[in-house]
Amino acid sequence: MSEALASFVTALADDELVLGHRHSEWTGYAPHIEEDVAFSSIAQDEVGHAAALYTFAGQILGEDADHLAFGRKPNEYRNALLCERGNKDWAYTLARHWVYDTADEVRLESLESSSNRDLAALATKMRREERYHQIHADMWLKRIAQGPVEGRNKLIHALEEALRDASGLFELLPEEERGIEEGWLPHRSEELAGRFVAKATSWLDGLGIPVGTHSTAGERAEFVASSSGDLIATDESAPSDEGATEGGGGRSGRHSSEFDDLWDVLTKT
Amino acid sequence: MITKADERAVWNALMSVPDPEIPAVSVVDMGMILGVDTSDAEGVTVTVLPTFTGCPAIPVIKADIKKAVEAIDGVDNVRVETTFSPPWTPERITPDGRRKLTEFGLAPPTGDGPVLISQIGLPMVAACPFCGSKKTHLENAFGPTPCRSLYYCDDCRNPFEQFKTV
Repeated sequence: MSEALASFVTALADDELVLGHRHSEWTGYAPHIEEDVAFSSIAQDEVGHAAALYTFAGQILGEDADHLAFGRKPNEYRNALLCERGNKDWAYTLARHWVYDTADEVRLESLESSSNRDLAALATKMRREERYHQIHADMWLKRIAQGPVEGRNKLIHALEEALRDASGLFELLPEEERGIEEGWLPHRSEELAGRFVAKATSWLDGLGIPVGTHSTAGERAEFVASSSGDLIATDESAPSDEGATEGGGGRSGRHSSEFDDLWDVLTKT
Repeated sequence: MITKADERAVWNALMSVPDPEIPAVSVVDMGMILGVDTSDAEGVTVTVLPTFTGCPAIPVIKADIKKAVEAIDGVDNVRVETTFSPPWTPERITPDGRRKLTEFGLAPPTGDGPVLISQIGLPMVAACPFCGSKKTHLENAFGPTPCRSLYYCDDCRNPFEQFKTV
């Protein structure tokens, strides 16, 4: 099995680990106890998925899953920026949760047809568990969108913020060509991004939320000063064929300053 | 070396291995054993299906299985593997397992047959394990472990947990 496959799966694991960590920060602090339980449980699921994915990648690379999870330098993590953003407030937490899980569903559904049977089986298993996350996020979006105007406005603002980062989940991967050639990657990032936008737009339209999801297709994430000190300019209109890996975001190891703090906590022990 | 005839002994040993979080049921009751392979002269291989990907009990279960099977006379090399293919689904729980879960105070997952992904997490009624009433409602799809949801019985007014349909 190829190293490209291991590298691709590690990037997925990084998304799950980092976002799982953010969710876990609500343990003991969520606005009410049922949400404390919910976010703690969702966090446990995401970290569990990360463990399974790191184990998968580790078997190909001959490396220990724990080392992959906690033993790398900040610029070796390839999670999307969306996953590392701080929780900010309840509105952003829910908006990011919804954006991520809507995108994750698109990604997992695609991976179920991977030619690598172990990866396909893992995708099926994770997707069945992720259903609960999606239902939870959908429920909250609906509840706030149909509630008092103050909460609704906060949600709209938070969704705009989270959706700006959404394209980072579908950043062109350096492993993409190999994946298509070798058959373990059933669909290109660009195609998945299109599916995500269609799905997200239809849901938000149904809630009457005026968020410009149309404009996120083919765009790149908004990049800020990275841990390596490089400042990458915001470029929201870059054509998708330009190769987002050149000066790309999270997928090429460039992270926001928020990631440095998270990495410190993550790797402290 | 173990002979084919002794496969029964391995299954018997597995029936004594409890789910560490639900000690009333065995890993066999829960349908977590995909297969037992005694055909290899090198030893016995037991293949386990984790109920949830992130279940923290898996390393404990694997160690317990190894210990229980190695206790069989003539068996000294036991391998315990996990796989997600096929995914563990609730219909794998045996009728005996469902009964034991209820007696333990944990409602078994809703439904009998395989659950389609589109049906997972839909509001479903769990029968109260204490009074049997179906006048119950979901309090939280998430519970104290990845595999449990929280319910409330409107008849006997007890909170209870259900093993999640996944």
